[in-house]
Amino acid sequence: MTLTVQRRFVTPEPDETLEALAARALPGVALDEAMDRIRGWNLHIFAMRKPRGLLLGGDVVFVEPPLS
Amino acid sequence: MYDLVIRNARVVDGTGAPAFAGEVAVKDGRIAALGPKVEGQARAEMDAGGKAVAPGFIDPHTHFDVQLLWDGAAKPSLEHGVTSIIPGNCSLSMAPLRAGDRPAVIGMFQQIEELPPEAFTLAFDWTWEDWEGYRRALEKGLAINVAPLVGHSVIRVWVMGPEANQRAARPDEIAAMQGVLRQCLEAGAIGLSTSFVDVDENARPVPSRFAQFAELDALCAVLGEFGRMLQIVPEFYDADITIARIDQLAELSLKHGIPTTYSPVFDNRQTPASVDRILNRSAEQFARGARVWPQMQTRPIDISFSLLRPSLFFARLPRWVRVLRQPLEARIASLTDPETVARMVEDAGPDGGERLMGRLVVRGGGEAPAHLAGKTLKEIADARGQSCALALIEVSLEHGLDVAFLSANGGHDNTDRIGPLLARPDVHIGAGDGGAHLASFATYGDTGYLFSEFVRGTGALTLEQAVAKITGETAAIWGLKDRGLLKPGHAADIVVFDPDRIARGEERPVFDMPGDGMRYTRDSVGVEAVLVNGELAWTPAGYTDAKAGRICEMAG
Repeated sequence: MTLTVQRRFVTPEPDETLEALAARALPGVALDEAMDRIRGWNLHIFAMRKPRGLLLGGDVVFVEPPLS
Repeated sequence: MYDLVIRNARVVDGTGAPAFAGEVAVKDGRIAALGPKVEGQARAEMDAGGKAVAPGFIDPHTHFDVQLLWDGAAKPSLEHGVTSIIPGNCSLSMAPLRAGDRPAVIGMFQQIEELPPEAFTLAFDWTWEDWEGYRRALEKGLAINVAPLVGHSVIRVWVMGPEANQRAARPDEIAAMQGVLRQCLEAGAIGLSTSFVDVDENARPVPSRFAQFAELDALCAVLGEFGRMLQIVPEFYDADITIARIDQLAELSLKHGIPTTYSPVFDNRQTPASVDRILNRSAEQFARGARVWPQMQTRPIDISFSLLRPSLFFARLPRWVRVLRQPLEARIASLTDPETVARMVEDAGPDGGERLMGRLVVRGGGEAPAHLAGKTLKEIADARGQSCALALIEVSLEHGLDVAFLSANGGHDNTDRIGPLLARPDVHIGAGDGGAHLASFATYGDTGYLFSEFVRGTGALTLEQAVAKITGETAAIWGLKDRGLLKPGHAADIVVFDPDRIARGEERPVFDMPGDGMRYTRDSVGVEAVLVNGELAWTPAGYTDAKAGRICEMAG
C-alpha cells in the first residue's frame, strides 16, 4: 500500500532553538528566511501558543507549506 | 439452575448479527445461555417486554478517575446503559503520583476536567501513590466496570518531578518511565494516554507535550510487551497536524504491534474537507497493517457557561481563566477593575471578541432578564455600543454573574454528515469525555443520542450496527476480555432498552459534586434495566445497592 503524499514535518531535538531547527530543516535557505518560513508554516506554535514560539519536544513542525 | 433468565427479549448480541426474539440466561455473573428459548429453571426471571436486550455499552473515553473514588457507578453513565468505562485519557490519571506532586496534577484535572477543588479534599481518603494502591482504592465500591489508562503526564511527574513540564527527558529518565509504565500495566492499567494539546491551570502545556518522539517510542515498546493501547489527543483543530499524528501512531503501531487511537475527530462546515482527509489517512495506515483508530463522538459540543465559574470556553484565554478562577468576591472585584477588564478585552482578540464570542446566545440563568434570552452577544453588544467581550462582562455583572451563555455546535455542526461517518467500519465511536468539562456541558447520554439521531433519525446505522459499535467492536479494539458480547462465558453486562424511545434527556445543572460543586448532566430515556456482571445495578426506580463492578481483565 502506497501512502499518499502529505505535508513534511520534523520534530524538535532536545533544547533545539528555532534557529537550529530552521537550519536543520531548510539547509539550503538563508537562516532568516528559513526561520520566517518555519514561523509562517507553523501558526499553531508561533501564533496560537502562549507563550508564542515555545518549542515543545512533542511538536509537529512543518517544513513546507500546505499542499494544494 | 440459572441465577436469572431474561425472557421475551429482542436479543441484540453485539456482533452486528440480526436481532432475534429470544431469552438470555445468567449464572455466576456470566452469560450462561441464550437463544430463542432457554430451557431450565432460574432463581429469578425478568420479562423484557419485547424490548432490546444487548451487551452493556462501553465508553472508551472518560475522565471518571476522581469521581469513581466516591461514586462507583460513575453517575449518570451507568443509567444510560454504560457498564464499562475507560478513564485515564489525555495523559491524566490518579496514579502513579507521590503525595508531594498532587497539587500539580490536581491543577491539571481542574483545568481540563473542571472538577471543583473539593473533589480532591472532601470526598475520599487519598492513601495511595502507586498504581496498585489506586486500584485497591477503586475496587472498594465499583458498581461499573473500569478499564483504566495510565497518563503519560503523570508518569513524567513521577520520574522528573517539577521538571516534567520544563524539558526533554534524559535517557536514564526515559528508562525509569518505562519501568513505571511496566509496573502500572502489571497492576491493571490497560494502556497509556498522552496529549499534544492540553494545558494546565496556568495555561502551560502539560508534561506529556515536552516529550520527544523517542520518549513516546520507548514507552510504546513497553506497551508492545503487553499488546496494549496508546491513546492520544492530537491537535484536532488542524487536519495537517492530525494527519502527522496519525503517521506517528502508525509507525508506533507497526513497530511495537500495538493498537492506537486518537480522539476527538470533528466534522464541521468551516473545514468540510478535513474529516475525509483524516479518516482516509487512517484508512491508508490500516491498509498497511497499522491500527490507528479515530474516535468520533456522536454529539456536537454545546458549551454552556456563566461567569460564576471557569469554563472550557475560555481555555485559550489565560487572563479570563485567572480572573474566573478567583473566589467570587475577588472575581467581581477584578471584573469591575477597568485595567483588568481592558486586558481581558484585549485578550479576546483585536476585534474585541466578536469572532470568538459574537455568536454566543443568552440561554437564561437565574438572574438573567427574559428579554435577553435567545439574543446573540453580538446583538446585545451592538445595542449597547460595546465590544462583545465587554458586553459579556458587563451584562454578567448587571445580573450577579448568573447569565448563562450557549456556544452551540462546537465540534460537529452537521448531523446529516455524522451518521455515515459513525457507520464506517474504521471509525471508533467514543471521545465522549464522560466525567469531564463538568461546568461546560453534559458528557453523558451519547449512547442514547446515537440511537435517537442516527438509528431512528437519519437511519445511518441499523440497531444492530449501532449496538455492535459501542459493545463488541469497542471491546475488540481495546482487547477487553469477555466483554461486549452476549455470548456464553462472557460477563453478564446487559442493558435492556426500548429501541423506539432510547435517547438522552435534556441537559440540566445539578449540584452533586463534592462541596456542592455544579455540573451539567442528562437523565437517560428509554433504558429499562442495567446489569453489571449479572447483578441488577439500575432500573428507572434508581440505583440498587449492587457493587458488582470490576477492574476489567485484558485478552491475551
